[in-house]
Amino acid sequence: MGTVHAKSLDPLPMHGRDLGLHPDDLVEPPEPEQESKQEILENKDVVVQHVNVQGLGRTKEDLLGYEISDVFHAKNLIDVMKKSHIARQRLLRLGIFKEVEVLIDTSEGSDALPNGLDVTFEVTEVKRLTGSYNTMVGNNEGSMVLGLKLPNMFGRAEKLTFQFSYGTKETSYGLSFFKPQPGHFERKYVKECSPPALGNNASTDLQCWLNCVLCFSLTLNMYKVTGQFPWSSLKETDRGASAEFNFPLGMTNHTLKWEGVWRELGCLARSASFAVREESGHSLKSALSHTMSIDSRNSAIFPNRGALLRINQELAGYTGGDASFLKEDFELQLNRRLFWDSVLSASLWGGMLCPIGAQPSCIADRFYLGGPTSVRGFGMYSIGPQSEGDYLGGEAYWAGGLHLYTPLPFRPGKGGFGDLFRTHFFLNAGNLCNLNYGEGPRAHLQKLAECIRWSYGAGIVLRLGNIARLELNYCVPMGVQSGDRICDGVQFGAGIRFL
Amino acid sequence: AGLHRVFDLFTSTAAEPWPESATLYQPLKEDQILLSDCASSLAVQAYLRMCGLPVQVVCKANAEYMSPSGKIPFIHVGNQVVSELGPIVQFTKAKGNSLSDSLEDVQRAEMKAYMELVNNMLLTAELYIQWCDDATAAEISRPRYSSPYSWPLSKILAYQKQWEVRRKMNAVGWGGKTLEQVYEDVSQCCQALSQRLGTQPYFFNKQPTELDALVFGHLFTILTTRLTSTELAERIKSYSNLLSFCRRIEQTYFEDKSS
Repeated sequence: MGTVHAKSLDPLPMHGRDLGLHPDDLVEPPEPEQESKQEILENKDVVVQHVNVQGLGRTKEDLLGYEISDVFHAKNLIDVMKKSHIARQRLLRLGIFKEVEVLIDTSEGSDALPNGLDVTFEVTEVKRLTGSYNTMVGNNEGSMVLGLKLPNMFGRAEKLTFQFSYGTKETSYGLSFFKPQPGHFERKYVKECSPPALGNNASTDLQCWLNCVLCFSLTLNMYKVTGQFPWSSLKETDRGASAEFNFPLGMTNHTLKWEGVWRELGCLARSASFAVREESGHSLKSALSHTMSIDSRNSAIFPNRGALLRINQELAGYTGGDASFLKEDFELQLNRRLFWDSVLSASLWGGMLCPIGAQPSCIADRFYLGGPTSVRGFGMYSIGPQSEGDYLGGEAYWAGGLHLYTPLPFRPGKGGFGDLFRTHFFLNAGNLCNLNYGEGPRAHLQKLAECIRWSYGAGIVLRLGNIARLELNYCVPMGVQSGDRICDGVQFGAGIRFL
Repeated sequence: AGLHRVFDLFTSTAAEPWPESATLYQPLKEDQILLSDCASSLAVQAYLRMCGLPVQVVCKANAEYMSPSGKIPFIHVGNQVVSELGPIVQFTKAKGNSLSDSLEDVQRAEMKAYMELVNNMLLTAELYIQWCDDATAAEISRPRYSSPYSWPLSKILAYQKQWEVRRKMNAVGWGGKTLEQVYEDVSQCCQALSQRLGTQPYFFNKQPTELDALVFGHLFTILTTRLTSTELAERIKSYSNLLSFCRRIEQTYFEDKSS
């Protein structure tokens, strides 16, 4: 019947021409045969008899079972191609293959059915050891990162990473072991939510759906991180270890984590305030935390639609250590597309820290507010309780933002570079304070509602990859309280998480 | 850097009077503080009492890390934070309080020399006994030093401090000494002090100076601190004029609580 050779399907083809059929097959035979060929391709039922994976070295086969098993359920040729494409993406997402090629052929052999197909995935495994060098932009800081990675260490997509980062504010190193566990849930999830329809947004929809496909995983970390915080005149060195277990539950993703950190705090300058000097010294924090997140956005940076809800709680002190507190914080983001490609985005953050026992909270655990990634128009983390110009953070806060994103006026560079930019108009508000836990919740709400800081403005946002953003805004801060440091006028910000 | 700091003190603090809220910080008295830190703290307290400057003593577990130089004790006066006896003497001088103004230059040089002797001999001996003597380190120093912290941080900090002090002892040449040699050095130091003191009430004239405060701080602490052996205290007790010197200062400056 001829070989249908499907390679690198991006986007999925709808016409026979893209399948790479030899043009002679279509031109030479008389008309009626051509029609019957087309009928075979699109309508005839097929049965996938074998799905093979070739080129496995150290990878264990049982790992791949979940990724490729769905191909067996394909009913016709187009379906086979769709499911093979999805399986290919999933195999690539494991991070253990450099290349995956899909070969769809008719079955051969003694048990071959007339409408049987064999699908073969030809894979090339990644090298055992890879090194990398990156420069990284975090929240208003830059750093150089050297990495060593051992992907697929024991054959089941385990990953051992060592990273050394040297930056303007921070030096750190860390060792991390990640073990994913393909689970039964994936099949359930695939049945409940159908693969995306093919259309203009085929690739982004596919990406979105793949992002929703979660997995169990276990991550072990060991690290040493130093940081400098000039807004508090504080420097902090953390040496710690953590174990994290990630699992999905229905539509949500849960993470359970234990973290043990040896924290060393010190004054950044001799002129640090006495309140910060009193926090100097060593402490040990041993905390259990749980995070639940639901993310239905179609992109992390410029989402057109969808919502994000992340709720995190942390309990320290019951597994040892000096620090003892209960900390809650949440993040909510809603996006909606409006007229003319503009997007309205609303976000709300909040958190509370309750120290357990007699000792007061530590400056390293408290919340901070303000800056180009938080309430714009104010200095970096420069809102709220302070002593002699050093900001001490607060035990409770809330922050909200309302944004209107539009493409650049007159759309220069449309379809290419121009798509990385957006203009945005924003309204930010927030408040940060310490709570006296003797008073009731009503008094707390009242305290958080008085003296609200807010700001409005407009600016340009640039997307970096799929993770980070650069912003250049003109801000007008309002509701400024005495002690806050403002940054009115032009403010530049770079980071990963913005209000 | 030292000169710059003194200049800072002169220009910014000369005008302000000594506030009522002046505070002295040291590690926790009952469970944490060690012999050497207690001696240094007592010396500063004695000096301030001799000057008639009131100061409140506050005990904090992280006092050593709060201190700008990493040494105990330090005082918080107004906006200033000053640590160790030497800089504190300079600081009070800038505010117009000094005990050694009436001394002649020769006497002042002699005073400085004896203070150096106490720092190099007595203080170093205290550090040696605390951290280089295995019995004392295991029974007293490490448990006390790490008492505010939980495991495993307590172990890490205690051993880190021990390692740091032992390295310093090697650097000043005390690494190879035995405990007996250290006791001998202490005896010789006490002999020199005893000879200088003679039958006088204080080391210079009839008024106390910072040298008196320093000597009192160290000797009184050694006499009243429980160690694994009483050898050190015995060596000092053999100099009776030093004993009466300590008692005299204690009665004059530290027993006002009862009155």
